[in-house]
Amino acid sequence: MAVDLSMPVLVVDDYKTMIRIIRNLLKQLGFTNVDDAADGTEALAKMRGKRYGLVISDWNMEPMTGYELLKEVRSDEGLKPTPFIMITAESKTENVIAAKKAGVNNYIVKPFNAATLKTKITAVIGDF
Amino acid sequence: MSVPEKSVDSRLDEVAGHIRDMKTDSLSLPDILNLAEIMVGSMQGFFGHVDTAIYKELTDISDFIDTTRTEIGRLQPGNLKDKHIPEAGLELEAIVQSTETATNTIMEQAELIMSADPDDMPAYHDTVQGAVMEIFEACSFQDITGQRISKVVSTLVHIETKISTLAEALGSALSETIEDEEETAEEKRKRELILNGPALEGQGIDQSDVDDILSDGASQDDIDALFD
Repeated sequence: MAVDLSMPVLVVDDYKTMIRIIRNLLKQLGFTNVDDAADGTEALAKMRGKRYGLVISDWNMEPMTGYELLKEVRSDEGLKPTPFIMITAESKTENVIAAKKAGVNNYIVKPFNAATLKTKITAVIGDF
Repeated sequence: MSVPEKSVDSRLDEVAGHIRDMKTDSLSLPDILNLAEIMVGSMQGFFGHVDTAIYKELTDISDFIDTTRTEIGRLQPGNLKDKHIPEAGLELEAIVQSTETATNTIMEQAELIMSADPDDMPAYHDTVQGAVMEIFEACSFQDITGQRISKVVSTLVHIETKISTLAEALGSALSETIEDEEETAEEKRKRELILNGPALEGQGIDQSDVDDILSDGASQDDIDALFD
């Protein structure tokens, strides 16, 4: 089944420029319904008010990090199935292991390019 | 005036033997004075020795304090606090500001190109040409940023040199007195939430390593091996 490119996607990053970059890349990939949040707390509130087909989150944010957001999402029965991709500069093995254990669907190391983003999104939600 | 130790011992033996030989409960005044003289001489030797050791210790402490004061003075802490560090901070703020401004400009122009209508070729051409020129101009931030970073690096080198000189002057005294610092709340948060920040070139892992870890084929042993 083809991916619905109009599905809501949530981009979480405390750096406005990065949100803008990811928004533009998603737009180029065909996604038309993109929301954003500046940290895990704001993202969680948005996720509880709207069903997202994909969450793309940074790790290092305050007050709630992307790692904490991931654990919150996976411990909430209603949000648990949401595909979750981490895009972060945290490039230590322990970060990737922790994210994997917490239930991340994919992990992109910054800096990244459009091709990597597309490959990882495809791996998580299917071809589009 | 101190009495040599050997002499004190022999004289004490001599007086003690003399007292024993007298076989009396009472001692003559000359005997007592003789004994007192030997005892005082002995004590003078002890206190003379102690005085010298204490004097040497105090002199060493005084020299150490003097050296430390001199080196701290050479550090010019006021100059570092009021001039070098604030200036470095301002340079870094300027770097953040200029990179952000340049990034925004470049992105605005890229968005302009993305939204331009290619069906209207003359207008599209003008839009692209104008945007590309803006992007080139925005990239000039790199030159100024490089110069600002050089100034910050100079400040860090300056501080490092001063601290090294101080550490050298203090010698082993530093390592003997410094205890492990207690973990701050911020450090605890970073440790618990695994906030390592960006890794330097060659220190972190790349996307292919990440993909290996996340691939279904990676066993726990494979993952554990990454920590070895």
